[in-house]
Amino acid sequence: MAPAKPAAPPARRNWGALLVRNVLLALVPVWLVWALLTPFYNRFLLVSTRNLLHLTESPSVTELPRRDEHYAYVQRMDFPPAKSLVHSFRVTDLHFHFVLLGALFLAVPGIPWRERLSNLGVASVITIFFDILLLFFYVKFVYATQLGDWSVTHYGAFARNFWGLGKHLLDLPFKLSLPLVLWAAFYFRRLVV
Amino acid sequence: MARKQETPSPRPSSSPEEPFWRRNRREIIFLVLFLVLLGGGFTLISVNWVNDHVIEPFTAVIAQVSGGILGLMGQKVTMNGTIISNARFAVNIRNGCNGVEAMLIFLAAVLAFPAPWRSRLAGLGLGILVIQIVNLIRVVALFLTGVYFPKLFDTSHTVIWQTIVILSGVLLWIYWANRYAHPPRETAA
Repeated sequence: MAPAKPAAPPARRNWGALLVRNVLLALVPVWLVWALLTPFYNRFLLVSTRNLLHLTESPSVTELPRRDEHYAYVQRMDFPPAKSLVHSFRVTDLHFHFVLLGALFLAVPGIPWRERLSNLGVASVITIFFDILLLFFYVKFVYATQLGDWSVTHYGAFARNFWGLGKHLLDLPFKLSLPLVLWAAFYFRRLVV
Repeated sequence: MARKQETPSPRPSSSPEEPFWRRNRREIIFLVLFLVLLGGGFTLISVNWVNDHVIEPFTAVIAQVSGGILGLMGQKVTMNGTIISNARFAVNIRNGCNGVEAMLIFLAAVLAFPAPWRSRLAGLGLGILVIQIVNLIRVVALFLTGVYFPKLFDTSHTVIWQTIVILSGVLLWIYWANRYAHPPRETAA
């Protein structure tokens, strides 16, 4: 029989369980705050990404008009007006990871609220930059792969793969794991103490 | 990026005079390994051959099991590959809805964390099982949402259930790492 491993100290064992409980308690309030702020954040995200896209365009042809609180269009002003709305997408789906981020950062036990909020603030700023980059890649992905002959004419094979893989990686693994990555960056030591 | 901690450091050799990367080498190694494993895993499942020969059959199994559970609940559903349908609603289970994303995030986090292989394997086995159970509940709940509350389907599909499935993976990892992983402690030089 293998010798028993030394048990973790009670404080350490309880810390993980407390964190899980706190996350579950924080989830609904954080979700409500996120739902309330979503219409404003969607507008901010669309305007910021449009400005970033304009830095890469000459002339600036991309607009991201809102359809309603949750949906928006990708519009190209150099296309005929009847065909200028080239794609529709749900902006809210790009940033629901904020719910996870908020719940995880507010739930860490044994840390003063001031420090929790300060860490959440820094993590939120990083997440906002990530969301702008994600939407930027999303629009480029639409241009490179979703517009049929126009995409093939204007984007080579490498560019289509670059924007496609970039959007795939940002939209799934990195978007979904960003809260965990940021949480680990701040609180990894507490797991291994 | 890790902040000054209140609890004693597990690394007695660290000191504020050491360079950033040395002071935070555990965090940096974990994050780099995690991101490399995660990016590699998602790139792998985006390859057509892997998608067609591994992910699609796996997703079809999830559709079959979900359809079986819905049948037990009195829903007269028919299954066709990854599509579950009845007279009122149909869903096609695609990437993002098969739990593979949450499994890959959990797998990358467990493999990147400094822990004995025995703990890792036990954590992976149990964690993947729990994630798939949560995902089955999601598929069944989403189908019922589509049948009875179709207006709520969009929000429920991405925002609510995606968050719950990913959260289950993240919380399982934190719980496992904190309680069972027992990373080997470094000794002072």
